[in-house]
Amino acid sequence: MAEAIFSTLRETWSGYVEGLRLVIPRLLAMLTVVAAGWLIAALARAITGKVLGWLRVARLSERTGAAELLRKAELPPAERLAASTVFWLLFLGFLLAGVDALGFSTLQALRSEVGLLVPRLAGALAILVAGLVVANVVRRVVLLAAVNAGWPSASLLAGAVYLLTMTIVTAMVLDQVGLARPIVLTAFAIVVGAVMLTLAIAVGIASAPLVRRLLDERMAARARPESDGSSHL
Amino acid sequence: MSTILSDELLSELMAVGQLDVLVGLPTLNHADSVGPVVRAAHVAFNRELARERTALLNMDGGSTDGTPDIVRNASIVDRETLLASQSLRTRHRISAPYHGVPGKAAALRAVFAAADLLQARAVVVLDPEIASVTPESVAALARPALAGDADFVSPAYARHPLDGPLVTQVVRPLFRAAYGLALAEPLSGEFGCSGRFAARCLEQPTWESEDLRLAIDLWISGMATGDGLRVAEAALGPRRLTPRQRPAVAALVPQVLDALFTCLRLQETGWAAGSRAIALARSASPPPPPDPPASVDVAGYATLFREGLAALGGMLERALRPATLEALRAAAAVDGPLDVHDELWAAVMLELAAAHRHATISRDHLVRAAVPLYLGRVAWFAAELAGLEPRDADERLEALCLHFERSRGDLVALWTAPLR
Repeated sequence: MAEAIFSTLRETWSGYVEGLRLVIPRLLAMLTVVAAGWLIAALARAITGKVLGWLRVARLSERTGAAELLRKAELPPAERLAASTVFWLLFLGFLLAGVDALGFSTLQALRSEVGLLVPRLAGALAILVAGLVVANVVRRVVLLAAVNAGWPSASLLAGAVYLLTMTIVTAMVLDQVGLARPIVLTAFAIVVGAVMLTLAIAVGIASAPLVRRLLDERMAARARPESDGSSHL
Repeated sequence: MSTILSDELLSELMAVGQLDVLVGLPTLNHADSVGPVVRAAHVAFNRELARERTALLNMDGGSTDGTPDIVRNASIVDRETLLASQSLRTRHRISAPYHGVPGKAAALRAVFAAADLLQARAVVVLDPEIASVTPESVAALARPALAGDADFVSPAYARHPLDGPLVTQVVRPLFRAAYGLALAEPLSGEFGCSGRFAARCLEQPTWESEDLRLAIDLWISGMATGDGLRVAEAALGPRRLTPRQRPAVAALVPQVLDALFTCLRLQETGWAAGSRAIALARSASPPPPPDPPASVDVAGYATLFREGLAALGGMLERALRPATLEALRAAAAVDGPLDVHDELWAAVMLELAAAHRHATISRDHLVRAAVPLYLGRVAWFAAELAGLEPRDADERLEALCLHFERSRGDLVALWTAPLR
């Protein structure tokens, strides 16, 4: 009996040791690949930044208006953005290579599936980035316009516009990825339709007199910037 | 020169010959207001400047309302003028379109080029939107340059410190802090200058800059601080604008701030390097400030300041130093009185200017985010001035300008500091 237990334990542990003997070199290989990838990506980022600086991309982006657009979206300058993009693309590539180095068939199968998704993911990522830029710009423009027009709850209005923009962007991203497309489209249509219907009922039918009176009172009590600013000059 | 002046205009100018005074009048759809300005200039030619060789040059930006026709046909046939006029010279009146991108900068460049070509001793530029122009004011702008006493003559209007707060609270103090020149109206569209000043302006490469279109009036005033130039101020009495729809304050403040900060950027090599105070000769003692204009809506502006700061505080964090933003938030405390005092206001303006220079956030967003801050300052200043005599109010404004002047070191440090 004791012999059988010891034998089972010995086999189990020797299996683990054998497994570790196989995994540790692969793990070390993966770590070296990832570390080397990080170094190479960081080096590429630095070189990209230098080259773009040397090419005076900052001035070019100022001249073309790209710099102003990035500032409006609270994003870093074009040369830093490009350098960061190069870094992350390279680093992600090395990460995937590192996963390959582990040699686990499950992870490799997963990576292959992800590889098939890459074109669609890239498109979705581009939509997401462009959508974030647009949503940020729109939020700030609405906020500034609402504040300077003396509207009540400017932040709330800008936040609502941002949320609406991001909802549309999210629906576009999910549609691009192609995950459960009918569900996404149906959910989007239901949410937007419900919001619009609620607003229509609330403002247009049920509480129109109340809303009008409240708005009249609120707006009348507020100072609005003059329609003619010549007295300020 | 030939690229600035068209062949047709060149031949017209050649027919004029040498000049003593050239009056430039840039216009664009000013049919409603240009007539009296042209008449004032011509009465000045025939009466105040009767012994000088004079010409009026209207540079039009492509008006569609018949402005050039009005300039060409404006008559001066009122009895008083005819009796008082002692015309000794031929009076020339030229109206022509200008070359290049539409805008006042291109028009002024053409006027300066014409003055240079005609070797004019003095140039006067008039603003068709200023309805209070008189023959005397035209002559007052021309005489110091004609006499060789000044290279640049800026107008000084009789205005209460609350009349035109964008000038009194923003443009005048910051311009003075940067350039060391205490002009009352650095933003004015009318001025006088010598032929030498016009020639020096013409030499600048800045004319090719897109940014100059925004900041041309201030840029001209800034040019007056150049080495070896003498500056004078002519008291012109009260100023009255022609009644026409102008941008609302929410649009006007960003325009003026953008122009001011852009001008500082265009001329940074000049003002940021020097530290001298520039002498200013006043051709006549400034008139006492008249009564304040229509009262400022102190409570309304204060509300807009508080709500604007609450909403835009996050955006301003990248433009203002934490201490300044904290002080603004304390000033906006709902349970206390509004307190945007001189020291805080100077810090705000200096930091906004530096943020615009370094583009720490979008320049467009920056100047728009400054509107509530400006309204808060105007509300505080109006409350400060309540009950003060006009003379005391003027002294209070001078104290603000002196405070800005003392902050010049901070401005230069912020301006030249590496990007945060």
